[in-house]
Amino acid sequence: MLRVRYGWSLFLGLAFAVAVAGCCGGSSEEKKPSRWETKTTPSAQPSGAITSAAKPPAPASSEPKPLEGSAFNKFFPADATDGTKRVFTQEKTGYAEAKYQKDGKDLLTLSISDTANNPDARSKFSSATEKLQSHPMMTVGKNQSTILVKDRFQLKASSQTLDHEARKAWLSKFDLTGVAGL
Amino acid sequence: MSDETPIYQLLEQLPQGGATVRLLQAFDYLVPGEWQNITSLEGMIRSTTGEEDESLIQTIGERAIALYGNPEEGYQRAVWLFQSVDSLDKLAGAAAAAHMIGEKFSFLGFMEKVTPSEETTQCVDAAVKFAAEMAAYCYCNGIPGDSVGDFVGSLSQYAKEDVMRVAAWVSFDCVLPLGPDFLDKILGKLQNVSLDTLTNNRVFQKISHLLPGGGQEQKALIETNMQQSASFLSDFTSSRDITQNGVIDRVRSVIEVSDDKLDYVAAAVDMFTNYYEHTGIQTVARRLSSRAYGEI
Repeated sequence: MLRVRYGWSLFLGLAFAVAVAGCCGGSSEEKKPSRWETKTTPSAQPSGAITSAAKPPAPASSEPKPLEGSAFNKFFPADATDGTKRVFTQEKTGYAEAKYQKDGKDLLTLSISDTANNPDARSKFSSATEKLQSHPMMTVGKNQSTILVKDRFQLKASSQTLDHEARKAWLSKFDLTGVAGL
Repeated sequence: MSDETPIYQLLEQLPQGGATVRLLQAFDYLVPGEWQNITSLEGMIRSTTGEEDESLIQTIGERAIALYGNPEEGYQRAVWLFQSVDSLDKLAGAAAAAHMIGEKFSFLGFMEKVTPSEETTQCVDAAVKFAAEMAAYCYCNGIPGDSVGDFVGSLSQYAKEDVMRVAAWVSFDCVLPLGPDFLDKILGKLQNVSLDTLTNNRVFQKISHLLPGGGQEQKALIETNMQQSASFLSDFTSSRDITQNGVIDRVRSVIEVSDDKLDYVAAAVDMFTNYYEHTGIQTVARRLSSRAYGEI
């Protein structure tokens, strides 16, 4: 009797778990293929294989070795610029990033990246129609403005609240001469 | 562990419901509005950048996937750390066997297997988990300057998944089993435990190869990390009014527990949830999205 009861409650429990999983979209079989798998050839790669987009980034052989992110830090606008607090948030090979906060809220993110890490990033500047000083400048999406210095270093200002003009003003606060001298 | 799994799959594998998610939602009151349960790379990119253009999101995502796929970038190690500190004592099948009693999760016959740890182990576990947080921070964000000092400075800037995880760690790993004076207890035990006790600790054994230095240096690092973070953690706990009663009430609103002993409830949370791994994967995905947005 005990065994029967236990079996019944387990059955109910499992049935409920299946129902909950179904309601929550937890059934992986019913999910559409991920957009990130689109470059995978199903017959050529097993399920879960890393897609072509997910291959480790390998700088092209003609590219210089990316500089360390620490080389970029000194060119960022100083702490307290325009009443903001500067917080460095990432420092990796070829990349440095800082966010600037005002009144405790994130105002924008500034970054410097060495395109030796990702040479494809440079090509978009061929269609740039604006310049900041002598550097080609353009917008990316709706929340980002970027310039390319020395045909190599990409400086970006990203913000969900500032417009292009305001972001452009922040880009001009980088030590652009310093970056050009790298 | 995670090495073969791309970041978008790690995100997509995170549950949208279940005990971990419900528990984190129940503790939203500690960090109001900071945490959302984002379980897709696309969702994380939208949240991080505010961008809506599909082709731009695709480009950012492909770059993020590529960055994660390179083991030398450190993001995989960060995920591995978050997973490792959460993977002990999990009962295989417990999550699947969970069923609902009203709004609560019940784990049927698994409760009898919940065994509270004694206090020294709880203290060491908590400190080692927090060292893993620091190490994951460094692997994820780079190591600017000396790691401990920068990590401690960054704690006050923690937001979203990061601050949710710290709030959960303070609640479940510190206040709940150790009480309001958890910092004194952890710091006291750390000073007194032998190197052998530390090296025999199961959480430490899992992550020690990802901490710098040998045994003595690692012990010193774990202590220094707790000491230097103590002021922040004390303020964090008092300003958010994190109390044992508050924590246990919220836990019991989500998980059906058959014993009210605090260390028992703490052990049940440890056994039936994986908040560290869950929020950790979201943390790494957000950092990847931000960097990819900066690099494309």
